[in-house]
Formats: sequence, structure tokens, C-alpha cells
Amino acid sequence: MSATLPLPKSHEILADPETSEWLKWALKSAAERDPIKALNDALLLAATLEGRLRSELDLS
Amino acid sequence: MSKDSNQSVGGIDSKAAEPARFATRKFKMARGGSLVIGRLTEHGRANYQFRADENASYYVKLLTSRGAKTLWGKDLERALNSGETRPKVGDLIGARRAGREAVTVTARRRAADGRIVSEEAHHAHRTRWIVENVKFFAERARLARRLRDEQADVRETVRAHPELKSSFLSVRAAQEFAARRIADPKDRERFLALMREAMAASIHRGEPLPAVRLRDPSRTEEVSTIKPRPPRPDDPTR
Repeated sequence: MSATLPLPKSHEILADPETSEWLKWALKSAAERDPIKALNDALLLAATLEGRLRSELDLS
Repeated sequence: MSKDSNQSVGGIDSKAAEPARFATRKFKMARGGSLVIGRLTEHGRANYQFRADENASYYVKLLTSRGAKTLWGKDLERALNSGETRPKVGDLIGARRAGREAVTVTARRRAADGRIVSEEAHHAHRTRWIVENVKFFAERARLARRLRDEQADVRETVRAHPELKSSFLSVRAAQEFAARRIADPKDRERFLALMREAMAASIHRGEPLPAVRLRDPSRTEEVSTIKPRPPRPDDPTR
């Protein structure tokens, strides 16, 4: 038994009605930036958000 | 990049490059039972590390804030399918190593025609996993806080969280035990604090909550209906 979720392409995420407005805005604005800087910032953002989640929900 | 970042450590295989500023941070889960958080992207049965010459195992791929991670362990299949929340692909999940259990592995040697020529039993340890949606761990953290709070109104807390009933009953049983068996008040306090903390930590980790065991009335009846056997002449006297 196995299950896989293919990583969606940028245009698929933008077209998906389930996608939040925040993510659509972030994707569009990131597309106008240098891809290396944009990914580096996105990874930092993701790590920071995870830190916030762990702190607010007391997850360790 | 750290020396072991691309190697499998403790069942974790980190494939993605980390941003430079996180390079020196070791992933806590590699050393202990920390919670790995990520989006469940794939899971299934496969030979360990996807190598043909390795044993059958189970993998869980996560997209974490530090990149893609693959967890390996035979118990992951049970943890995913028998947990409380049974996460689906696409969910934000948490995975935690909960401990190890002893297992017996039978190594079989086969002849060219597939016939088993020898069997040997080995004792090994299998890592036990807890894999649930992240909200489950948040709820457990909340429950653990309730149990740790000595000032909390127990009746009110149990009404709001009936799943904690057994835990509070255990605390009460420990208090009664301590009152009877531990003379020194300081030792008594220490024992109760340790016991409460151990229970809270177990709840926090996501381990199964103890179930309330009720006496089975049918069993009591069964016992009471057993007729005493007739006395024999050689029975000992009291």
C-alpha cells in the first residue's frame, strides 16, 4: 500500500479555489524576484512559521 | 552543510539542502523523540532506503520547513493506519519515535530452488512511532497542561475532558498510596510530583491515554455462581 501527493506546479496552485489568498499573493510576488533569493527567504519563512506553531501549540 | 545531513540517521534521511543559516543546527529528532512536523507527501512499503538488497520496510515522506525528509520504520505503517487521526496525504502531520519494543526476527536461508535450508531467530528492537495530524499533538499538549495543573478543579476538568478521567483516577490512587506508605511529607510530595509529571509527559508525547477499566458485572456473577465442591475425607482441616 502506498500513497503519493505530487507537488503541484505554480499555475495549478494559483488556479486551485482551495488555495488561500495569502499563498496566491506570495507566489505571485515571489515570481517577480530572483529565484534563489525567493527560495532562501521562503525556507526562512517556513522555519519561522514552524517555530511559531511549535511555540503557540506547545509542541516539542 | 553538516557531515551527516545527507545520510540516514536514526531512520531519518535528509535529502534536501538546508539553507546556510540552519546548517549547524542538528535535527533534534535524529537524537531523541522530538516531533517532526511536515506535510505528508508520500508513504508506502519499500525496501529500506529503496535498496534492493535491504529488508522490507515502510517509508513516510514529509515536506518540512527544512526540506524533504524521509522517515523509515516498519512500525510507520501501523502508526499511520491505526492512529487516532489516520492522516492522509496532504495533511500537516507530526511524527514522533515513541520508544522501542523487543521483536524476534527469523532469518531464513534458502537454497537456489527457494527451499528453506535453515532458520535462525534473532532478538531485535523495533522503533515504535506515533504519527498523527498536528492538531492531535496540540490537543495532547493542552491535556498535559491540565493534568500538570495542581490547582485545577478535577471535577470540572474531567467534565470538559472525559478522556482524562483515568489519568486523574491514577493520580488519586497514587495520592492514597503515598498517604499510606510514604511517611516523610517531602518524599510524598516528590513522589506525587514525579508521578504526575510522568503521566503528563506521556500524554504530551501522544501516547495512548489509559482507559478507564470498569469491573465486569458478568464476571462477578460468574464467580459467585461457582458451586463449592463437596468435601473429601482427606481434605486438610483448619
